Amino acid sequence: MRATPGGYCGQALVVDVSDGSTRTLPLPDDVLRDYLGGAGLGTWLLTELSPAGAGPLEPAAPLAFVFSPLVGTPLTTSAKFAVVAKSPLTGMLNDALSSSHFAISGKFTGHDAIVVTGRAQAPTNVLIDEDGVRLVDAAVQWGMSAAEAEESIREQHGRRWRAASIGQAGERMVRYATISHDGRHAGRGGLGAVLGAKNIKCVAVRGSKRVDVADREAVLVAAKDLRNRSFGPATEKYRELGTLSNLLAFNAINTLPTRNFQTATFADAAKLSAEDLAESRSVARSSCASCSIGCEHIYASKNGKKARVEYENVFALGPMCGVSDPDHVLDASARCDELGLDTISAGGTIAWAMECVDRELLDVPWLRFGDGDALARALDEIGTRTGIGELLAEGSRRASEIVGQGSSAFAPHVKGLEMPGYEPRTMQSMALGLAVNSRGADHNRSGAYEADLKAGLDRVHGTTEHVRAAIQTEDRAAIMDSLIFCKFLRGVFTEPFEEWAHLLSLVTGWDVDADELHETARRIVLAKRSYNLREGWTASDDWLPERFLDGSLALESGRSATLPPERLRTMIDTYYQERGLDSNGRPLAMSTDSRTEPST
Amino acid sequence: MAHTVYSMNPAAGVVLAGGRSSRMGTPKATLGWHGSTLLRHVTGVVERAVDGPVIVVRAPGQELPELEPGVVVHEDPEEGRGPMQGLAVGLSSAAEHAETAFVCSTDLPFLHAAFVRAVLRGFQPDPASGWEAPPEVVLPYVGGYRQPMAAGYRADLAGRVNKLLEAQRLRPMHLFEECRVRQINDAEFLADPWLAKVDPDLDAVVNVNTPEEYSAAHDRPQPEIVVERYGVLATRGGERGTRRVNASSLAEAARQVGLSFDGHIVAAVNGDQIRGDGKWPLLAGDTVSFMSADAGG
Repeated sequence: MRATPGGYCGQALVVDVSDGSTRTLPLPDDVLRDYLGGAGLGTWLLTELSPAGAGPLEPAAPLAFVFSPLVGTPLTTSAKFAVVAKSPLTGMLNDALSSSHFAISGKFTGHDAIVVTGRAQAPTNVLIDEDGVRLVDAAVQWGMSAAEAEESIREQHGRRWRAASIGQAGERMVRYATISHDGRHAGRGGLGAVLGAKNIKCVAVRGSKRVDVADREAVLVAAKDLRNRSFGPATEKYRELGTLSNLLAFNAINTLPTRNFQTATFADAAKLSAEDLAESRSVARSSCASCSIGCEHIYASKNGKKARVEYENVFALGPMCGVSDPDHVLDASARCDELGLDTISAGGTIAWAMECVDRELLDVPWLRFGDGDALARALDEIGTRTGIGELLAEGSRRASEIVGQGSSAFAPHVKGLEMPGYEPRTMQSMALGLAVNSRGADHNRSGAYEADLKAGLDRVHGTTEHVRAAIQTEDRAAIMDSLIFCKFLRGVFTEPFEEWAHLLSLVTGWDVDADELHETARRIVLAKRSYNLREGWTASDDWLPERFLDGSLALESGRSATLPPERLRTMIDTYYQERGLDSNGRPLAMSTDSRTEPST
Repeated sequence: MAHTVYSMNPAAGVVLAGGRSSRMGTPKATLGWHGSTLLRHVTGVVERAVDGPVIVVRAPGQELPELEPGVVVHEDPEEGRGPMQGLAVGLSSAAEHAETAFVCSTDLPFLHAAFVRAVLRGFQPDPASGWEAPPEVVLPYVGGYRQPMAAGYRADLAGRVNKLLEAQRLRPMHLFEECRVRQINDAEFLADPWLAKVDPDLDAVVNVNTPEEYSAAHDRPQPEIVVERYGVLATRGGERGTRRVNASSLAEAARQVGLSFDGHIVAAVNGDQIRGDGKWPLLAGDTVSFMSADAGG
């Protein structure tokens, strides 16, 4: 029996829910070292296990829960997992991260990843522990919210079980349905629909096989140090107000998307701000397992519904839809959680539909910007695929293709994934990140807004320097999403690649250094691109909606923010060049430095 | 929030840092200015108004205080030939990047970006002038005096300035005799409502030549600006909302609202660029937004 590196189990479990059969997939050491875990290892697994061209909702399409070498260690924010599958929104690789006890219990079943494939005949729950895999009837849970289903599983089978579940939206294969656990969501890209297509309501795990690390004492010391640093000013924002504290600041700098990106400031932003909510309402704070930051801020609406408030859900269900009443936004956010809907895609798709109604392209007179009741009704109809929800459940790209009449020009997506709350014209590093990212319009795999919101670059005039900055943030994200560390810890690391390499060495016993991790980051980014290429990606997919390329935004300073198509083209071409891609964005040299190139 | 509706000019900035400073007794470039230096302050103001480079021209061997990254430094080839020498060097450098340049001396502590923009707007074609071509020099005529050291010049005048230098014609007036000069007087400047609001006395052209003048200038109240704080910066001290403070730099504005302008805070001025340099100059009418440096969401 081979000795696996510290932090790893050295194997993945593959469950075919069509017949309940399972197999163990050995994970060679060089694969683990090349792809680490989380999003990186998930990319390798998906490339290996998914038949080329298989549709995301077909039985053959695999969906992987992928852990990481740091899961189960005392390192703060390490209890995270990636869910990786082909996205029903984009048709491309999608990895969504989530947190908490599912990661620890899942890894302690003795696996670095759990892959679900096939399609069950009837609604089914998958239960996995150290004794094996059981498929059990999910008739009781079907129709429940994810939170209700999770609780039901634990009542039925025992409190030690941890369940990742879908809501009604996933059951109905809404293309932006989520997978949820412990109030957190693998939110983006519609992975809940993939599970729903397999007739799987919950994947539940229970495990106690602790995984050794190479140097337990040193890991403990490092964990204590990191924990202490996590209490410092770099995370104060997250601890004290949460990510919603971005809202008013973004409004002040013309980057708060409003009314489907028609403007970048929202007159009523203050009503939805973290500052106002913190002053006017009581808040419940919480944190993921193994996290010392504690970013979660949960507020109740006047209707008693509780919602975890983040910048992205408030932007998408508030300013993006023109809704300024915080109770409506909190209720909408809570409803998304109940139904299992990605708030960004839901808000973006509804905002697009509201603009269609304004332009008389859709005959849905009740669906108007600023109407909180209309927002709630639209969410209900999407989650249940009724009324206008049947169209909007397809996401803004498909819906705009159906509606036609020029509505694609203002459909707020890239590659089919709806855009997060960053105006590309006033954040042009981010504009590039949104355009070229393998997941589509995404703020977590690119993170190029970091460059725009630091001093030094003119954020409204993209240049070669912006491209380099975007590549750096993309590389950092590739490592953080594979180790996995929470992004909110990023400001704590002063020399991130060196520090991550050191921590990884302590856990695994590898003599990994910063240079190797830089190469690993590049490998992971290119592996995602290679998967997409195999599944039909073309260079035309790396682009932004027309809206951003032919309009300007006036800034308070007197300048105008524009993003001419030729500037975006130049930035993309430079990105291709700097990434070692050919002029059509195709990887040139994947195999020259990788020990374990996926067999695309 | 204050609104300005000007567009940026495709122009460079030239700051002449040489000169004997004989009446001041100390090189003006190194004089302190509210936590910065006069030269850094003036280059920062010019940088705010132009989208081309800012060029500092110094005397041979002159030591300069620390400048903002990106400021280009050139040296006069010969000392003691007055501002025309610096003008020639500065315009030659500017010509590589821009058609026009705002040129000023170091000793303008109240220079305002709105004034610089107003001067540069003077290069736009003026049907009333009767010229078929736009002006080559935009010369403020403020308080009854021409202001050649706070004026706009076409960058391609460098050659003509060099020829004048060769001919020992060392005064700016000699240049003005040879080119299309558009003069802008007080009333024309103050027809710009924003400039009239933030610099009603056109103090932008006030220079300091003696220790007494410098001291009097330094004792004036610093410009009034509006400060906004966001997120934990607003809630941490229990005081939300905007505040008006008098501050010449970001660090000073931060200090006055109880913030330390360290690496965890950034600022946007008038909703535009993100700034992390505490010495970055503030001007009357500015709105400064302080926010957390980490923008993750």
